[in-house]
Amino acid sequence: MRFPVHIFKRKVCQFGIPALSLLALSACEPDLLDTSPYGSISSNTMWTTDNLTDLGMTGVYNGLRLGISTSSASGRELYHFDRMGMSGQQRDGDAFMNGTATVGNGNVSSVWSELYEGVHRANDAIKNLTEKSPSSPEKKARYMAEAKFLRAYYYFRLNQLFKGVPIYLEPVQLEEITKGRETEAKVWEQVVKDLTEAINEPALPNKYAKGNAAFGHVTKGAAYALRGKAYMYTKQWDLAIADFEKVKAAGYALFSGAGADSYRLLFKQANEQSDEAIFSIQHMGVSGYGSTTQFFCGTRSSTGSCWNTYLISPNVVDLYENKDGSKFNWDAIIPGYNAMPVAKREVYFLRNNLTATEIAAMTAKGLDMSLYLPTGNEERVMKAYENRDPRLQANVITPYASYNGTTPVVSRWPYRVANGLPIADLRTDTGNLFYYLHRKFVYEGAPGVEIENRTYGATDFPLIRYADVLLMWAEALNEKGNTAGAVALVNEVRTRAGVALLNSNAATTVAGQADLRERIRNERRAEFVNEGIDYFDELRWGTLKETVFYTGNGVKQIWGTVVVPYVWSGDFLNTWPIPQSEIERNGNLQQNPGWMN
Amino acid sequence: MKYSTKTKNTPPAPLPPVRHLRGRAGAAFVALSLLSAPGIVPLASAAPTAFAQKAAAELTGKVTDEKGEGLPGVSVILKGSQQGTVTDADGRFKLAISDVAGKSLVFSFVGYESSEQEIGGRTEFSISLAPLASNLNELVVVGYGEQKKVNLTGSVATIDSKSIESRPVTNLSSSLAGLGQGVYVRQSSGKPGDDGATIRIRGTGTLNDNSPLVLIDGIIGVMDAVNPNDVESISILKDAASSAIYGSQAANGVILITTKKGSKNKTTVSYSGLFSTASPSNLPQFVSDYPRHMRLFNEGAANIGRAVPIYSDQTIQTWEYAKQHPDELNVNGVPNWLAYPNTDWGKVIFENNVVQNHNISVNGGSEKSLFNISLGYLNNPGVMQNTGLKRYQLRANVQTKIGNAVTVGTQTFAQTQSKDMGNTANAFNFLRQTVPGIVPYYDGRYGLPAAADEIQTANGILAYLNTTGGKDSESRFNSTLFANVDILKGLKFETKMNYQIRFAEYNSHAIPVLRWNFANNVADDVNQTNDPTTMSTRYTYNKNYQITFDNVLRYNTTIGRDHEIGALAGYNQYYYNYYDIDATKTGLIDWTITTLGSATDMTNTTGTEYDRAMRSWFGRLNYSFRSKYLFEANIRYDGSSRFSPDTRWGTFPSFSAGWRISEENFFAGLRNHIPNLKLRASWGKLGNNASGDYDYQANYGKVNYSFNGTIASGLAQGKIANPFLRWESTTVTNIGLDGNAWNNRASFELEWYDKYTDGILTTPPIPLTAGTVSAPTQNTAAVRNRGIEFSLGWRDKVGGVNYSINGNFAYNINRVTTYKGKLNEQWVTNADGTRSYTSNLGDVSTGGDNRILEDRAINEFYLRERYRGNGTYKAGGEVDINAGPKDGMIRTQDDLAWVNAMKAAGYSFSPVNSVGKAQLYYGDFIFADLNGDGNYGNSYDRKFTGTTSNPKYVFGVNMDASWKGFDLSMIWAGSAGMQYYYNFEGYNNSIVRDGNGIASRVADDHYYYNDANPNDPNNNITGSFPRLKYNGDAINTTSSTTWLYDASYIKLKNLQLGYSIPDVWSKKLKISRARLFLSGENLLIITKYPGLDPEIGAGVGYPTMKQYSLGVNVTL
Repeated sequence: MRFPVHIFKRKVCQFGIPALSLLALSACEPDLLDTSPYGSISSNTMWTTDNLTDLGMTGVYNGLRLGISTSSASGRELYHFDRMGMSGQQRDGDAFMNGTATVGNGNVSSVWSELYEGVHRANDAIKNLTEKSPSSPEKKARYMAEAKFLRAYYYFRLNQLFKGVPIYLEPVQLEEITKGRETEAKVWEQVVKDLTEAINEPALPNKYAKGNAAFGHVTKGAAYALRGKAYMYTKQWDLAIADFEKVKAAGYALFSGAGADSYRLLFKQANEQSDEAIFSIQHMGVSGYGSTTQFFCGTRSSTGSCWNTYLISPNVVDLYENKDGSKFNWDAIIPGYNAMPVAKREVYFLRNNLTATEIAAMTAKGLDMSLYLPTGNEERVMKAYENRDPRLQANVITPYASYNGTTPVVSRWPYRVANGLPIADLRTDTGNLFYYLHRKFVYEGAPGVEIENRTYGATDFPLIRYADVLLMWAEALNEKGNTAGAVALVNEVRTRAGVALLNSNAATTVAGQADLRERIRNERRAEFVNEGIDYFDELRWGTLKETVFYTGNGVKQIWGTVVVPYVWSGDFLNTWPIPQSEIERNGNLQQNPGWMN
Repeated sequence: MKYSTKTKNTPPAPLPPVRHLRGRAGAAFVALSLLSAPGIVPLASAAPTAFAQKAAAELTGKVTDEKGEGLPGVSVILKGSQQGTVTDADGRFKLAISDVAGKSLVFSFVGYESSEQEIGGRTEFSISLAPLASNLNELVVVGYGEQKKVNLTGSVATIDSKSIESRPVTNLSSSLAGLGQGVYVRQSSGKPGDDGATIRIRGTGTLNDNSPLVLIDGIIGVMDAVNPNDVESISILKDAASSAIYGSQAANGVILITTKKGSKNKTTVSYSGLFSTASPSNLPQFVSDYPRHMRLFNEGAANIGRAVPIYSDQTIQTWEYAKQHPDELNVNGVPNWLAYPNTDWGKVIFENNVVQNHNISVNGGSEKSLFNISLGYLNNPGVMQNTGLKRYQLRANVQTKIGNAVTVGTQTFAQTQSKDMGNTANAFNFLRQTVPGIVPYYDGRYGLPAAADEIQTANGILAYLNTTGGKDSESRFNSTLFANVDILKGLKFETKMNYQIRFAEYNSHAIPVLRWNFANNVADDVNQTNDPTTMSTRYTYNKNYQITFDNVLRYNTTIGRDHEIGALAGYNQYYYNYYDIDATKTGLIDWTITTLGSATDMTNTTGTEYDRAMRSWFGRLNYSFRSKYLFEANIRYDGSSRFSPDTRWGTFPSFSAGWRISEENFFAGLRNHIPNLKLRASWGKLGNNASGDYDYQANYGKVNYSFNGTIASGLAQGKIANPFLRWESTTVTNIGLDGNAWNNRASFELEWYDKYTDGILTTPPIPLTAGTVSAPTQNTAAVRNRGIEFSLGWRDKVGGVNYSINGNFAYNINRVTTYKGKLNEQWVTNADGTRSYTSNLGDVSTGGDNRILEDRAINEFYLRERYRGNGTYKAGGEVDINAGPKDGMIRTQDDLAWVNAMKAAGYSFSPVNSVGKAQLYYGDFIFADLNGDGNYGNSYDRKFTGTTSNPKYVFGVNMDASWKGFDLSMIWAGSAGMQYYYNFEGYNNSIVRDGNGIASRVADDHYYYNDANPNDPNNNITGSFPRLKYNGDAINTTSSTTWLYDASYIKLKNLQLGYSIPDVWSKKLKISRARLFLSGENLLIITKYPGLDPEIGAGVGYPTMKQYSLGVNVTL
C-alpha cells in the first residue's frame, strides 16, 4: 500500500499549507533520505576512472593478505602451513596432526573462502577492465595479465589442497554458485591457461628492477615460474624445464651479494627486492600492511614480546648436513646418544653450573646426572651445531646460541629469570619446554631497529623465489634422467648456502636418480624452512605419511621427547576436505574420499 | 436521552455544559460516563418545580480536586435518597432539599474517595475530593498525548517514578526489572558505565536489533542518558495500536519517558542523597592452594600420556614446606608466605567500595510559567580497581505562556561522565588466565609467577587492570525547544525541534608497573614494559548528533453529547550522523608525556563516518461514544534512507477498539463489586528498518596493500548489495481485559497477543565459495511470537497499615516461521551403491550451537547428546550397541572394552576415533548416534533441544507497605524457561591449560582413573566432570547438552525501608518532607544455574552488584 505522498509533499512545498509548511520547511529538501556511504565507492562508479582502476587492481592483490590476523595465529598464512610439514611444528599441534580434523574444520572453510575471494576479485577486474575502465590500453592490458596471474595463483593454491575445485571465471550472482567440482587436472589446465595468457601479453614486463615503483606487481618471470610449478604437479617435466629456463632468461638469479652470509641476509628487508625475489607478498612496517612472522615465530625476547606459536621440528635440525655434506649423526658428538631413551637425553642440553636445587629437580625427573658436566655441558652440546650446513644457524636458534632480541640473549636450559651472567636467558612463551626456535623472519634488535611492532614486519614474504625455481628445475631434470644437469642446479643453491657441493666428496656423491631425488627433496626441506613450501611439497611428493606422520613423531622438544603425538588417521589426510557446510549449501559438491562427517 | 433509569417520572433536565477539563479529553468522557450510571438523578440547578413546594434549603458549593481546581461531573446525592445533582464545568452545584435535618450529602466521583458531609446548618459547601488510591484515574502517557487508563484501547504498561526512586541503581534501564508486565530487563554487566540493561518487550521479535524505541519527552533518545531522578513516568507501549503512531521504528515496542515538569504550587527544593556499599553478588572460585593446582595439572598431563610432569615434585614440595613454615626466610631472604604464594584471585580482584549519588532539584511555577531544574552527581568506584565512573547530570525543564494562546518552553539535559581505564572486557579472561602462585601486589610491586616451571605468561590481573592510564569520557547535550499554540477551540498546534549531541573522548596509554619475582627477589627483565620508547598512546574521538523536527496538529470536539472525536496529524523528520577519528603513536619520550604530538612514530590512524535519516507523516482518529465504546485508528507513513528511493516508503496502520462493559446497563448489578471492566482489541502493523545504513547500495571498501615499500590502497567489494530491501513489518493482534474490583482494591489486566514479523532483514548464509564478502541483507525471515501477560494488584488498609502488592507475569513462545526452507536430512544411495547421510542444514540454517531454522525458536540450541547405554557390557562378550556406559562417560574397564569391541565391529566415535591416552580413553564422553549411521557423535548427531537462552516466562512482584512514617517496599524480578550453554575453559570444563587456573567445581568433582593402579586412592570414577586434560580436549568440550543448564532465576532486586519524619518535627525544621531510607539492591538470587549470575548471561563477566545503601530525601 502506498500513498501518493510525493504529490502531497509537492503541494505543500509549492503552495504552502500554512502551519505545516512553516515548520516543516526542511521537509522540502529533496535529498534528506538520499544518504550514501562516506568511506566507500558505489559499484556503479567503480572501475570508471583511471584511479579507480588502480585501486580495483590493488584490491585483487590484497587477496594475498587475506588470512593475516594479528589477534592470534590464523593458521592460514603460508608460513603457518609449515606446522603440518616436516620442518615445522606448532606448540599445541593442530587438528590435522592430532587426528581430530573433521569436515567442519574452521581453518579449511576459511582457506576455501579466502582463496575464492581472490578469484572473484580477479574475475571482477578481468570483466571491468574491458567493460568499464578508461585507462590506457597498455595499462589495461598489463592489468589484465596481472589479474589472470593472480586468478591462476588462487586456483593453484586451491588445487594444491583440495585437488579439484569448482571453476568460476566470470563475476557470479549468489544463486549461480552451484557448480560441481572440476577434476584436479582441469583446474591445472585453467591455471596454465591463465598463466599462458599473461605470458603472452607484451605489456607485461619480464622483471622489475630493484626500486621500481611497480615492484611487487606481477611479471612475466613470475608467470613462467608459477606455470613451471603447475607443470611440476602435472609431471610435464619438459614444459616445466622450458618455463624455468625462461625465468632465468628474464634476469632472475640467486642473491649472493653478501658472500657467505647471503642466505641469512636474503630474508632481511634490505634484500627483499634482490634478483631472487620473483613474486612476494609486499609488506610494510605500518599497521595493517605488514607481516606477522615476528609475532608468531618470535619469542618473549623478540621485539614486542612474541608468542613462539610456530617452532622448528628437531627432524629438520637433524637433517642439516655437516658442512662437508656428510649426514649429521648425534653419536658422533655424544657417543651412545642414539641408543639412549629419548627422555634421558635431556641431560646433555642442560646449562653449565646448575644449582643444587636444579640438579635435584633434574635427578627427580629421572635424568642420569652422572653424565652432566657442570662446566662443560654447554660446550659439549654446542659441538653438535658447529660445522653444519650454515643454513642451520641462519634458520634455527639452537641451544646456547645467541639471539639479538630486544637485548642480546642466549637460549639456555632450564630457563632462569636471573642467571647472574652478562647475557640474559632467551625467554620463550613455553618456558617449561625446550624447543628449537625460528630465526628466519624473526627480526633482531630493539624496537625501531628492524621492526617497530610485532604485528607488522616490513620485510616482503616470498611466494616464489629463484632458489625454488632452481630446485624444481633440478627435480624436473632429474625426473627426465638428466642427473648432471640437475646436480649443477642443486649445486648453485648449495654454493650460496656454503655447504659442500654434490659430487665433491664421497659423502656427497650422487648415486643415481633415486638418490638425487631424495637429495633434492632434502635440499628443499633445508632451504625453505618457514616459507610455507614444505607441506605442499610433501603433499605433492606423497611423502607426508613417511616424513611427518611416522610412528613416534609429534611436537618434539629438542632432544626428541614428544609433547603432542601425531596421529595418521588415514590416507585421506593427503587431501583437504571440502568444507561440510559448503556441501550442505551446494549439493553438486562431492566430498573427497575418506573424509567422513 | 436516558440519563436516568429509575425515576422515570422525573423530567429530563438540561445538563450543565461539559467543558474540556484542563485540556485532557479523557476527563470529559468520565464526566459523561458518570451521568449514565444508574441510581443517580441528575438534578440541575434549575430545580424542577416538583421539589419546590417543600424546599427548605438551597445548598450550593464547589467541589475541587487535589490541586484545588473545580471538579465537574461529581455526583452530589442526598444520602438515603435518590435526590441529587452533578457539578457543573466549574465544579459548582446547586441543590434544593426539602428537609435537611440530620441528613448528609455524599459527594462521589470516579477515581476519587467519596466524601460524606453532614448538612447541619450549612448551605454553602467547599469540598475537596482526594484521589482514590487506585489506577482508575491514572493518566497514562501515550504516543503524542495522554489518556486516562480507563479509556486506553491499546496495551500499555506504566511505571511510575516511585518505583525507581531511592534506589542505588546508577542508570534507568536496569531499574525497570520486574516492574512492567511483558517487559524483560536483563543487566548484562555490573561495570559502572556499562551497566545498562537490555530490554525486550514481548520476546525476541526479529533476528535483528530487538531494542525498543525510546522517546524522552517525545524525542528519540538513549534511555541511560536520563537521570532516574528526573523521571516523572514511564509508559511502555506494547501492541501495534498504541505504538503505530511511531510506525516504522516501533516494532519492538516503545518506551516513553516523561521528565518532571514544574507545578503551580509553591517552589520546593528537594535533595536526595545516598551512599551505598557495593560488592559483587557472586564470586568465581578457583583452586587457590598452589600445590593442589600443580598436582591437578600434573594429573591432566599424565592423563594424556605426557611423560614429563608440568610441575616438578621439588616445586610442589617447596610450596608445601612454605605453607607449614610461612615466616621462615628463603635463600633470598624473602619470607615464605611472600615467596611462595597461594593466591585466591577471585577474592583479590574484587573489593568493596562506596557509591555516592546526590541529586538536588528545584521545582515550582506560577499561572504563567513552570520550571523544574535539577543537578545530579554519581560516583561509582566499581568493585574492581580502576573501573570507576563519575557522572554529572543537569536538567532544566521550563515553560511559559505568551498571551493566552501560546506556550513556549524547553527540555534541556546535559551530562558528562568519565570512566576509569581498567580494561574489564578482557579482565575475566585474564582472571582465569592466572595461577595461585603469583603475588597480586606487595610493597609497590606486582608479582610474577614464582615457580621456575610455571609458564611466564600467567597473568597478574591486578597489574593488568592498573597498567592502562588515560581517560574515557563522554558528554551529552540534548535540548528541545517547543511551542504549543491554541489556534481555535479544540484545535492545537505543537511544534518541537530537538538537537542532541554526544561525544566521547578517549585516551589510553601504558602505565609502567614493576613486576617482581618475589621468590628470587628480582625484577623480571623481559616482561617489563617500562621502556617509554616501546609505549604507545592512543587518542580516539567520536561524535554523533541528531536533529529532529516534530509538528503535530490536534483537534478535539464533542458532537452532540455522545460523540467525542479527536484527530491528530503530524510530521516528523530525523537525521543522525556519526563520525570518529582514532590515532595511535608509539615511542614516548617519557611515559608521563602522552600527547600525540610528543610521541615519535605513527602507528595507526583511522576514521569513519555514517548517517541516516527518516521522514514521517502520521495521523490519528479517536472516537468515543458515551465513553462506552472507544475506537482509535492510527496511520504512519515512513521513509528511510536505509532503503532505495523505490522501496523506502512504508505505511503502518493500526486500529483498536475498547468496550467498557462496566458502563452497560446490564452490568449494573455487578458494578458495586466491579466498578470498571473493559475489553479491548487491537490490530496493527509496524515496521523495522534494521539493516545497515547503506545495505541497498553495493560498494567497494578500502583494503590495504603496498608496492615497492609504498602504501597502495585498494578497493574491494565489502558486502553484496540488495537494492530491493524494504521495510520489515510486524503485525500485532492484541486482546486485553482489564478492570478493578472490590472498591478498587483489586485491579487486573489480562492480555493475549500475536506478533508476527515478516520480511525480516537477515543475512542468510551464502556459500563459502562466494568469498569473504559479507552476505547481502535480505527480507527473508518471518518470526511469530505469541503470548499472554497478566498482572494483578491489590491494595488495602489494615489498621494503620497501607499496603499493596502487584504481580506481573508474561509467557511468550517464539517460532521462526520462514527462513531459508525446510531442513532436509536423509539417507541417500550414491551412484556407486554406497549409502550416505545428507543434509542441507548449512543451506537453510545459520549458527553453530545456536541455530536459526524454520519451525524452531530463534537461536534454539542444536547439540549432541551423551550416549545412554545400559552399562551391561562385559569384556569378551558380544558387542551390543546398547551395552555401553550408562551416562555416556567411559568410567570402567568394561566401558572401554565396549568401545574397543564397537570399533572392532565397525562402529566409530567422533570426534576422536582412536583409543589412547591422548585420544579416546577413561573419563571421556561418548556421544549418542542419533542418526544411526554407526558414527557416534558426528555433526549429524546433533539435535534441536527445544530450548533457547531467552526466557519463556518473565515475572515480577512488587510490594509496598506503609505505617505511620514508615514505608517498606520490595521488588522481585525473575525469568524462567531458558537454558544457558556454559562450556567455558577455566570456569566450567576440565581442560587445564598453561597459565590458567582451575575452577573449584571442576577440581572437586572430576573423573580420575589411574589405569596403572586400579587401587590408586585418588581414583574417582564417579566424578561428573570428565578427566582433566592438559592444554586441550577435542572430545569432552565438543558441544553437547552436557554443558546446558537451566538458567531460571528470581532476584530480590530491591528492598527498601524508609522513615519520614512526622510533620511536627519537619515543621520545626522548616521543611515540608524528610525521609530517611535503607535500601538493598540484588540482595538475593534463587537459581540452580552454576555460573556467576544468570542475569549477566552464560559466561563470566563483571557481576551485578549487591548494594546496601543509606539515603535521605529532603524537600524544603
